[in-house]
Amino acid sequence: MDFRPLDELERKQLTNALRGNAEQGRVLLLDRRDTSFAGSADEVPDEEVISAIRSVPCHY
Amino acid sequence: MTTPQAANDVPRSPAELRPLTRIVLTEEVNRTLFAEYAAHRATERGHEEIGWALLGVRTADEATVMATLPAGEHREAGSAHVRFNPLAQELGTRILRQGNRQLTMLGIVHTHPGSMRHPSDGDYRGDIEWVEGLRGREGVFAIGTADAAGNDSWMSALHVQADGALAFTWYSLQSGARNYQPLPVKNIPGADRAAPLRAVWTELETQAGRLLRLAGQLVRVQFDVIEGSTKAALVCDVPLPDQGRVIRVVMEGKDVRYLLIDGEQVQMAQFRDDRVDRGVFAMLAELCN
Repeated sequence: MDFRPLDELERKQLTNALRGNAEQGRVLLLDRRDTSFAGSADEVPDEEVISAIRSVPCHY
Repeated sequence: MTTPQAANDVPRSPAELRPLTRIVLTEEVNRTLFAEYAAHRATERGHEEIGWALLGVRTADEATVMATLPAGEHREAGSAHVRFNPLAQELGTRILRQGNRQLTMLGIVHTHPGSMRHPSDGDYRGDIEWVEGLRGREGVFAIGTADAAGNDSWMSALHVQADGALAFTWYSLQSGARNYQPLPVKNIPGADRAAPLRAVWTELETQAGRLLRLAGQLVRVQFDVIEGSTKAALVCDVPLPDQGRVIRVVMEGKDVRYLLIDGEQVQMAQFRDDRVDRGVFAMLAELCN
């Protein structure tokens, strides 16, 4: 098994997800292959992101 | 026990988001912006404006940029405007979100040719409508300029980052606001998740329309970047419903190859078609026989 320290961003995401789970019952996601942390369930819908990227205005 | 500061970091639903107080860049995102701005200025198109779309996560009053998508070679640009290649950026976004569905659109960086370190009136007219569709109805915007040398007082501002002659000045814009607000910027260790896509951005731009169409027509289409025979290659996998077989399209430079993967067995299709969607459907038709 590969052990390595989390970088600051990964640690922050894990801490936030654990806090969201403890305080608001939000789901923690695990990688099915190795049970590593795979984010929380606060997903952003595809439609929201794709609509934004498609509509980026011209910049001057 | 929860401290107020700790509670700020928890991802919230859009209705719970507060106005941004800071923009956070991973160190590789920061390096990417400066390096690609410098590289762009050294090209034949260096006099044109250039830009990047910013993807990342939005928490209560903070946004963290985790990926930068380039404007692309097929951008439309001049010395006074830049319009990104939307198809390539859409495909890039879909690829990045395969690994992290929390990634959202945060904002835009673009450059100005002179010393105008603030978004223009034209920028405002587009951005104020655009931010309506963003998380928290607020976006992050930065202006790149090449006037940092000798501007020590400006460059020490909390919303400015400089490297040599280049600088990025950061702002937020909220829905309904009459102007952009300076936004303090901070770096933290971390990657630019779009960095691996840079090696296949040419292939991605060439095939974006057809690959997006394919992903819209067939479920479970996945994209990846792998080591090709001479350089990195863009891969599109189309899983088949039977016994775990996969049609794999490998795009490396102008070369497009079609493979049928069945467990350990890999067969290369004996036909050529640069139009990826047509090639995949030809494979599917053949497999029906």
